[in-house]
Parts: sequence; C-alpha cells; structure tokens
Amino acid sequence: MIRTLYRAWLEFTSWLAALILWLFLLQGQVYWWQPLLLWVTFMVLFFLTRAWGYDPGAMPFTAVLALTGWAFLTRLNPTWATAQFWGVLAGSAAYLVGIWVGSRKLSYPLLWASAALGLVFVTALVGESAGGARAWLRVGGLRFQPVELARIALVIYLAQALSQGRSKYELYAILTVFFSVLAWQRDLGPALLVFFVFAWMSLAWKFTWPKFLLYLAATAGGFAAAFYFFPHLRTRAIAWLRPWDYLDSKGYQILQGLFALRSGGLVGQGLGEGMDYVIPQVHTDYLFAVIGEEFGLLGTLALLVAYLSLAFWAMQLLQDVPDQTLRLTGLGLSLLLHIQVFMVVGGILRIVPFSGMTLPLVSYGSTSLVAQLALLGLVTGLGQKRSVE
Amino acid sequence: MRKSFLALLCMYGLLFAGLFHWHLIADLQNHPANPRYYYMFSRDRGRIYDRNGLILATSTPLEGGVYQRSYATPSLSHVLGYFHQRYGMTGLERLYHEDLSMGRTLLTSLDWNLQQTAEELLQGLNGAVLAIRPSTGEVLALVSSPSLDGNALDANWSDYLDDLRSPFLNRATHGLYPPGSIVKPIIYGAALEKGNVDRFSLWLDEGSLALQNRTIRNSGGKAHGNIDLDQALALSSNVVFAQLALSLGEGLLQDLKAFGLGQEVDFELSNLKGTVPAKIASAYDGAQIGIGQGELLVTPLQMAVVAQTIANDGVMMRPFLVTEVRGGLKMRQITRPRAIGEILPPAVAHALQEAMALAARQGTAQTDLSSSLDYGGKTGTAEMSQGQDHAWFLGFAPSTNPQVAVAVLVERGGSGSAVAAPIGAKLLAAALRMDE
Repeated sequence: MIRTLYRAWLEFTSWLAALILWLFLLQGQVYWWQPLLLWVTFMVLFFLTRAWGYDPGAMPFTAVLALTGWAFLTRLNPTWATAQFWGVLAGSAAYLVGIWVGSRKLSYPLLWASAALGLVFVTALVGESAGGARAWLRVGGLRFQPVELARIALVIYLAQALSQGRSKYELYAILTVFFSVLAWQRDLGPALLVFFVFAWMSLAWKFTWPKFLLYLAATAGGFAAAFYFFPHLRTRAIAWLRPWDYLDSKGYQILQGLFALRSGGLVGQGLGEGMDYVIPQVHTDYLFAVIGEEFGLLGTLALLVAYLSLAFWAMQLLQDVPDQTLRLTGLGLSLLLHIQVFMVVGGILRIVPFSGMTLPLVSYGSTSLVAQLALLGLVTGLGQKRSVE
Repeated sequence: MRKSFLALLCMYGLLFAGLFHWHLIADLQNHPANPRYYYMFSRDRGRIYDRNGLILATSTPLEGGVYQRSYATPSLSHVLGYFHQRYGMTGLERLYHEDLSMGRTLLTSLDWNLQQTAEELLQGLNGAVLAIRPSTGEVLALVSSPSLDGNALDANWSDYLDDLRSPFLNRATHGLYPPGSIVKPIIYGAALEKGNVDRFSLWLDEGSLALQNRTIRNSGGKAHGNIDLDQALALSSNVVFAQLALSLGEGLLQDLKAFGLGQEVDFELSNLKGTVPAKIASAYDGAQIGIGQGELLVTPLQMAVVAQTIANDGVMMRPFLVTEVRGGLKMRQITRPRAIGEILPPAVAHALQEAMALAARQGTAQTDLSSSLDYGGKTGTAEMSQGQDHAWFLGFAPSTNPQVAVAVLVERGGSGSAVAAPIGAKLLAAALRMDE
C-alpha cells in the first residue's frame, strides 16, 4: 500500500513539475530551468537513497512541498525563488550527509549537546539582529540561522540523555543554558518549539501524570514570564486574542491572513490572482496564506496531507528500529518538523498565538531548508536498511 | 510511537478543522478591513437587463484591467442601486451582489422606456411613481425623484449630501405620506363587501358634515346634492365617505390592513410599513381615516399594490423586480408571480373599476387625456397642517381588463387632480403604447 502511495506522489510530482515548466516556458520566464533541475534533484535523491538500501519515502512529499514553495516564491518575487533554489540544492547535500550521519548510530551525546550550545552561543555573541531577534550569523558572504541546526543537535542529545539514563542535572543544566541563550537573543519561537519537543519526547519515553502536569505548569509559567519580560510577545498575544480591536496595527497581519484564506474558498483564486501584497512578511511567515488564497482549501489540505504523510512515513520506518534510543531520536526529529508545522499553520489559523517561524520545506529561508532536509536525511539514515528489490 | 502518531494526527485534524472554518465558513468577505472588498468594485460584474433585453447596468473595461459600473438612466439608482468603491452598494446591486460578482446576469421586469417617461414626468418635482402589471405583480417602472446619478457619484456626492430635497431617500419605498382621498376606494370596497350599503342608493351631500362639534368638509366646501356611491367616489365626496367609514366601525382598521397598509410589502427592496392607528378613538377620528387624513401614513409602494389589487379583480400579487437570474455554473433562477390573496370579491373589484373609470371620465381624476384614453383613476390631496398638500393619483388602464396599474405621488405638489392625475394619465398612456 505504501508503495502505491509513493508512486502516486511521484506521479504528482512529475505532473507538478511539468505544469510549472509549461507555465513558465509559455510565459517566457527565465527561471524555467530551476523547477526542472529541482525535480531532477529530487528524483536523483530518491533513487540514490534506494540504491543505498535506505527508505526513500520522504522524497516525494518533500519534492511536492519544496516545489510548491518554489512556485509561490517565483510568483511573489523571482529573486526569492532563486535563493530558494540554491537552498534546496544545499539541502540535498545536507540530506545525504544526514543519511550518512544517521547510519553511524549517533553516539557521543555530549558532543551533540556542545554543538547545539556552541552554535547558539556564537550567534548570541557575534550574531546580527533581524525582526526582533538576534538570530543570524555571517560567515564569509553567507548569512544563516544557526539555531535551525542547533535544535537538531539538541534533540539528538535529548534522546540519548532520556533513554540512556544520563544524569538529570546534566540534562536540565544544558536545557536551561540553551533556553536562556535563546531568551537573551529574544528568539522565542524556536525555544518554545524545542521545549514542546523535549516534553513530548520525555512523555513518550515514560509517561507519568506528575511529569505531564509539571510540563503543563512549566508551559503556563513560561508564557506568563515571557509576557511579563518581552513586550513584543504581549503584542502577539493581543493580536491573537483580539485582532478585531486592532485592525490596522497589532492584528493586521493575522487578519490579512484570514481574509486571504476566506478569499481562497474551496478551489482558490488561481496562481497569481491573490492579493499577496497586503500581507506583511508574506514570503517567510505567511506564505501559507498566499497558497490558501490562490489554491484554496483543496491546496492547503493537500499541503497538510503531504506533511501528514511524512509523519506516517517516519512512524512506519521507526517502528522497525530495534534500538530504543534511535527510535526516540527519530521521533524527536519528526516532532521538530511537525510541531513547527502546527505552530505556524495553527498561528495563521488563530488556533495558537503566532510564533513567527517558517513553514518547513515551503517558506523562504535557506538555513531552514538545509536543516529540514538534513533532519529528513537523519531520520532516513536511522531507519533499517532494506535490501534493494 | 503509535500513540505519538495518533496525537500528531489529532493536531493535524485540528488544523484541518481550522482550515475548513476559515476557508469556507467565516464571514469575512465584506469585512471593512478586507482590501478585497474595495478591490471587487473595480472587477467585471454581471449585467442587468430590462424586460425587452435592453441593458440597464453594465461594467465597462477601463485602462489597466479595471472595470467601471454604468447605468442606463439616473433614476435607476433607486431601483438597481449603485455600485461604487467609495460609496458601497445599494438596491439590487447589493441584494444580488453574490450572483452579479460571479458574472451572472439579472433580468428585470422594468421597462426602460417607461422608466425614462416616468423620470421625465417627475423632472423637477419631488415624488415617486410606480407602474405595476396587475396580473403578475411585475414592476414596470419605479422612480423616486430626485435621484442620484449612479454614473457620476464622485462628481456630485457633496451636492447630494447638501441637497435639502434628500436625493438619498427612496420616496417610493421609504416616503411616508397621509393617503388623502386615494384611501376611498378601499373604504368603498370594504363597505360593498360587507353588503351593508347599496351601490346605487342615493346619499345627500350638503357640502359638510358636523361630528362632535367639529366639521368634515368637501374640497372647497362644495355641495354635490343627491349622489350615489360611484358618483361620491368620482367626485371624492368627503361627506359621504366620512359616513361610509363610520358605518364600518372598528372593522375599518382591519379592512385597511387587509390591503397591506401598516405592514411592510413583500418586495425585493426594503420598505417602510407606515401607520394604521391601533384603534379609532372617536367618531370624528373614524371619519378622518375614511377620507385619508389623521394618523394614517402609507408609502407609494403600498398604494401601487392597492391599485394593482383593484385592477387585478381583487387578487393581490406580490410585486417583484427580478424575473430571472442566469449564467455562471448555477441553475437558472426564475421568479414566478405569486398571489398574496383575494382581498376583494371580483364583483366588488369590478364595481370599484367602474367607479374609478367614472372618476376619470367626469370626476376629479379627469385629465386632458380622458377623451382619448380609457382609464380608471382616483386622486388624492393629502392635506398638511403646514405648507403645500401632497398630490396623489392611483390608476389603471384600460378601465376594463387593465394591463397596467400606477401610483403617483408628488410631494407638496398641491391638488391631486391638477398635478398628480395628468402625470398618472400620461404614464398609463405610455405603458399601453409600450404593450403594442
């Protein structure tokens, strides 16, 4: 059954690629070779993974998500799409590296922990600010967000710390330092995400009610403290709870996102027919709303189904892994992706407060793309090798 | 692992529910903060046609892929409404916005020529005119003067705001006036239906009637002598109709309500319900209602429906403007004429038609056209305590088997016979020509 699914997705990918090619050849776009190359890249990755004996099932869904993101970025601003194109190519390399690293069984927990802390420390010390958070690092001509990679390293550490009975004090010390640095950088979205992933992993490893209640209390306390100390979070909370009272200030972005979704209706206005220019931060935070307006409910549902398929794929893959630590690592990495989807889409849908992160694999952002593809590579590498049929 | 996946599934389920709500259910399209609401005013839109296939409203493309709405004649602003980025939408444009914005077409019962004739007849006057097809309730013309020019709102808006004649007021649906003598056909019909009067018995009209230390007088205090009821209607005898109203007692109020007075008319355009007093306090009040004075207030739309009912042999039809909505992916939507009820027995309605034809030949509704046009009519002069009176005319043509019914109101116009009846007769003549 799962094979049929892959085949269907592959066919869809080729169809999407063909459609984009046709559109852009017809419209005389100069970037027509980019989707073609992306499609070829994903195909190569798919067959390479299979030839090495790993499960290539993540690739079709990834291809759909990344190509959709690329198509919408082209429609918004071709410059962004070109950056995204190079991001996917870099991400492909990261995916292959991820498979290799994942297959090495990921020991040395303290190495991963120090990698995570080192990355955030360096950012905190010499990083650059943008959008209210000091989250950027410049190396040579490249600018990237180290926290995207740091949280992967941290999750790898967490899985080993939880499942191998390492000292609780060490675990809490590392977490405290990590969160403190992120809070100091005012980069709270990723901090919240890592906290939720940690709590989920801890409960998935061993569920007890006191622990559950403790995490719930910590979440509530964390929110209260954050609203007390960070004024920009108070603004976000108000935008979430009462956007209608602040139509043209705090609530502007969230309302424009909802208007866009409603305008999309069932089938959408069609590619290029939406009013993207009224939404702030449309290419990173709010690309999902543009997709909603132009492809409608069917388009956004398809996108979420692609994510859900990635979750299903990871679950199928990890079920057969005998090593508990690796299983917990795979779960943690998957959660890192899916909780982020929930926080971003849920934020746009006003289910949770908006946290200002990117939609994995779709939104503009090279670091994010590289990190997500590396993450998928790691999960693939963790899985059992299969014999090539 | 399985439990974690199920939890993730629940989270995605929550997102699906959210998407479903915000994509399909939430009521956001016309929210004032939604820029799409303003954008839609410059998009293409379905046309609106008159009954003969002439275009009443259309969107013409301008430079830059932008469309502008234009209308065949200014008086349509009170029927079709207007559609403008700054001033919003009204009338049928608003009511059928969803259909029109999807490119669907409205076919209306309006007749462009008759609408224009009515518009010209009311030129320079404040008032309202309605023409209705008696057998179906189709509205052929609806004019309220002064009107707004839907093609030049930007240029004139500030003038409209300052205009003391209130061009925004749709006098046909939202103007409230005492009916004056045009209420008399209703009184006459009710008395005949009850059977407590004989149509051909004679009444003595001495020009005035004393009631409770007060006096009801004929127009100009003129005494008509011995007249029957048809003549009393034709001559608009206040003395006879005051007595007729008194003979109906409290039932008079029910008879007025049966004709739809004091209630909103079931019509596409919103309209006011007017006033029918809750009870008759004294004989003098009852007599005042019988001659259309006192607390009674009506809209021209209500009186047009009264004219339609008399002309349609007593069967009231629901008035309507939109006969069909077509185009797009949806099914055609056709409006069928609907009878509201038999308000008068056919014999009584025929008697009223004859009496009103007499009024048009020899009575107060007589005009220059009386010799050439076979019509029935009733005038009214609603007396105001201050300033000029309101002039009314109700009519239909031809006087037997009528094809069109009209109501005319000229605000502060003076006497119904002198001002409203000539407009009504010309309109009836134009409507009959249109049928040929």
